Amino acid sequence: MPDTTALTKSTDASAAAAQTPSTTDTGPLPGKPRSLWSDAWHDLRRNPLFLVSMVLILLLTVMAIFPGLFTSASPRDANLAEHYLQKPNWGHFFAPDWLGYDVQGRSIYARLIYGARASIMVGVIVTIAVTVTGLVIGMLAGYFGGWIDTILSRITDVFFGVPFIVGAMVILTTFEERSVWVVILSLSFLGWTSIARVARGSVITIKQADYVVAAKALGASTTRIMARHILPNAIAPVIVVATIALGGYIAAEATLSFLGIGLAEPTVSWGIDVSAAKDQLRNVPTVLIIPSVMVSITVLSFLMFGDAVRNALDPKMR
Amino acid sequence: MRGATKVRWAACAVAVALAATACGGGDGDGGGSGGGADGIVSSSWGDPQNPLEPANTNEVQGGKVLDMVFRGLIRYDPKTGEAKNMIAESIDSTDSQNFTIKLKDGWTFSNGEKVTANSFVDAWNYGAALKNNQKNAYFFQYIEGYDEVHPESGSASAETMSGLKVVDDLTFTAKLTQKFSLWPDTLGYSAFVPLPKAFYDDHDAWLSKPVGNGPYTIESYAKGSSMNLRRWDDYPGDDKAKNGGVDLKVFTDNNTAYTDLTAGNLDLVDDVPASQLRNVEADLGDRYINTPAGIIQTLAFPFYEEEWDTDDARKVRQGLSMAINRPQITDQIFQKTRTPASDWTSPVLGEEGGFKEGLCGKECTYNKDEAKKLIDEGGGIPGGQLKISYNADTGSHKEWVDAVCNSINNVMGNNKACVGGPVGTFADFRAQVSTQKLTSAWRAGWQMDYPLIQNFLQPLYYTNAPSNDGKWSNQQFDDLVDKANAESDKAKAITTFQDAEKILVTEMPVIPLWYQNGSAGYSDRVDNVALNPFSVPVYEEITVK
Repeated sequence: MPDTTALTKSTDASAAAAQTPSTTDTGPLPGKPRSLWSDAWHDLRRNPLFLVSMVLILLLTVMAIFPGLFTSASPRDANLAEHYLQKPNWGHFFAPDWLGYDVQGRSIYARLIYGARASIMVGVIVTIAVTVTGLVIGMLAGYFGGWIDTILSRITDVFFGVPFIVGAMVILTTFEERSVWVVILSLSFLGWTSIARVARGSVITIKQADYVVAAKALGASTTRIMARHILPNAIAPVIVVATIALGGYIAAEATLSFLGIGLAEPTVSWGIDVSAAKDQLRNVPTVLIIPSVMVSITVLSFLMFGDAVRNALDPKMR
Repeated sequence: MRGATKVRWAACAVAVALAATACGGGDGDGGGSGGGADGIVSSSWGDPQNPLEPANTNEVQGGKVLDMVFRGLIRYDPKTGEAKNMIAESIDSTDSQNFTIKLKDGWTFSNGEKVTANSFVDAWNYGAALKNNQKNAYFFQYIEGYDEVHPESGSASAETMSGLKVVDDLTFTAKLTQKFSLWPDTLGYSAFVPLPKAFYDDHDAWLSKPVGNGPYTIESYAKGSSMNLRRWDDYPGDDKAKNGGVDLKVFTDNNTAYTDLTAGNLDLVDDVPASQLRNVEADLGDRYINTPAGIIQTLAFPFYEEEWDTDDARKVRQGLSMAINRPQITDQIFQKTRTPASDWTSPVLGEEGGFKEGLCGKECTYNKDEAKKLIDEGGGIPGGQLKISYNADTGSHKEWVDAVCNSINNVMGNNKACVGGPVGTFADFRAQVSTQKLTSAWRAGWQMDYPLIQNFLQPLYYTNAPSNDGKWSNQQFDDLVDKANAESDKAKAITTFQDAEKILVTEMPVIPLWYQNGSAGYSDRVDNVALNPFSVPVYEEITVK
């Protein structure tokens, strides 16, 4: 079936597998031609891993945007006299005392809901920032090659050599006020390197494809080639890397907040809560366990999501 | 200042591994060798900040060792804190300015050298001299001639203080620059102990193994890990050690030390972490002590910032003081190991010593409506937000700073009226405080050097005093302190100090929060464990079963 759609499809598939080029192509079902994306969607809809993670992510996103929907209690209302380390009242579903109170007499359930905002914000915004930065640098390096590639790749290597958490710690300690944006900045500043490498590899493969050569021969401008031909075909592996990394950024925020150099009060963050509760493990373990479980669930749902997307986009994994 | 919160888990894991190896040898009593009168006590310790020169040690951990290895002219009674003559036969003065000090005969250093008037005078001159750069040099500032050996700027114009004169082997005189009737009572501080000739002759050797005149001698010292002290059998004093010795082990985290105590690898932990207090009953039963110590915690303010040094800000500070629900925080967060403060001293001074419960009155009592009224009258919190800076590494300050802020926020009906401002390390925090970098409140604490009301007021609130970090200044207060120091009658001196203290109620240069208790837990191997008013264990009294 040498129609154009199939041709695109075939090159797309190899683009998706750019890290380890492969030409294996199971091909679309006969009759109805489909793009890589509709094919991937076809797969994802039937993947229970994707469905579960999608539901969780949606729930977390709603929590982050409209925390008031889930609880009427404020995460900052402290009542030391009545609620100091009060144990959970498991029967009172979704009531402020459902999961008990922390050392400051604040509702753990309310803090759990409101803590989603910092985590999701950091995760999503850092991912967008590193994807854009990484894509631009990777595409420039991959497409133009030569000295541009040499310079950009070495810069990438330098940043790649900085240990992620340690580097973020160093950056954060130089700021006096540590808001969500400062954490986002420090993580974005160091996180774009792997995206840039993947994007560069992917662009190098695609730029030799027939349709790119054809576009060049027809006199298309560099911008047009990049935007219309390279980017759409090179983006799949980048999206895979980015979605998997998202969970990592959320975990990094929690780690930094736990160490006391990430977010600071009065921002509500699960990492801060885990840190404040760690000495209470023997007394009221739920104070420590609940925010920890929340971090785990969030990170896990984004990792599962990333995994599912990779399976769908990478034909080798089918 | 103990307990590195950040590395707590890692430290625990290491400690468990180490403890496991130690136990593998089959000797589970923590390095002790048998019991009875020669039994060795193992105790938790923190690495001293400075070399163990007496005039250079101003923190608790080094002070602990000096207290075991040295005896001075005066010793504070371990139970009452009362100043009693130790080596001094008598310290007399007719004018509160010229003192004659007579020593008891028969005291020697553990290397055999006799303790004479020169042992004191030389040690004090060493401690005061600018070139020796001793942290406690300012303790000698009342002695005449201090300005020549330790000028504020420039180089010293004299080697020794002119106010100190040796009369004979067992007598010397001291002339002060001003009248200071309570001066003899300050001489129990470790900066005033005598030093043997070996200290000057071979300084490095002395530092690696200090020689003193106390009930213990140092057997071995491994910097950063442990120090083994043994009873000095020929000790001439009447407070001879009742155990064979003490092994001090360095812990960077008091949670680890507590775990080691419950596991039976340690006999004594002299600072039980607040988070473990709920388990103390189950873990230790009655082998837990909680007694008042000469420590007060406060909130300090920057008077070098114009907006805090106004009459309006004074009202705000009073309002903030009334916005803090002290009993609630001491009961819950501190599990009653702190007592709400109602003056600027400490209960360990006793009524005669100048402690006066309720001196601060309603200004230090929680009153929601009055607090908000005062803060609003004063034009609100300067800068719009109170930021309480604290060090995040040791001492678990976050919990109570957050609780204080929550209390203020509740009063103000604003969730962001007060926030905690963590500073990474203690060193960095102290640097910011002492270089006037902070523009809002910070946590402050004071542990007494000697049990006198003067020590709770003058070094902290007198104009340009060494620990007056907020640079508060009040002429009336200074005058009253000077007057009190000149008073020859002790009781009168104390009431005059209290008059000075009353100025703090209206001016509120710092907000008193709570008096800290000393806490300790011990194993069933040892007995007769007590803490002195400085919250240091009275080691020589401990018996081993």
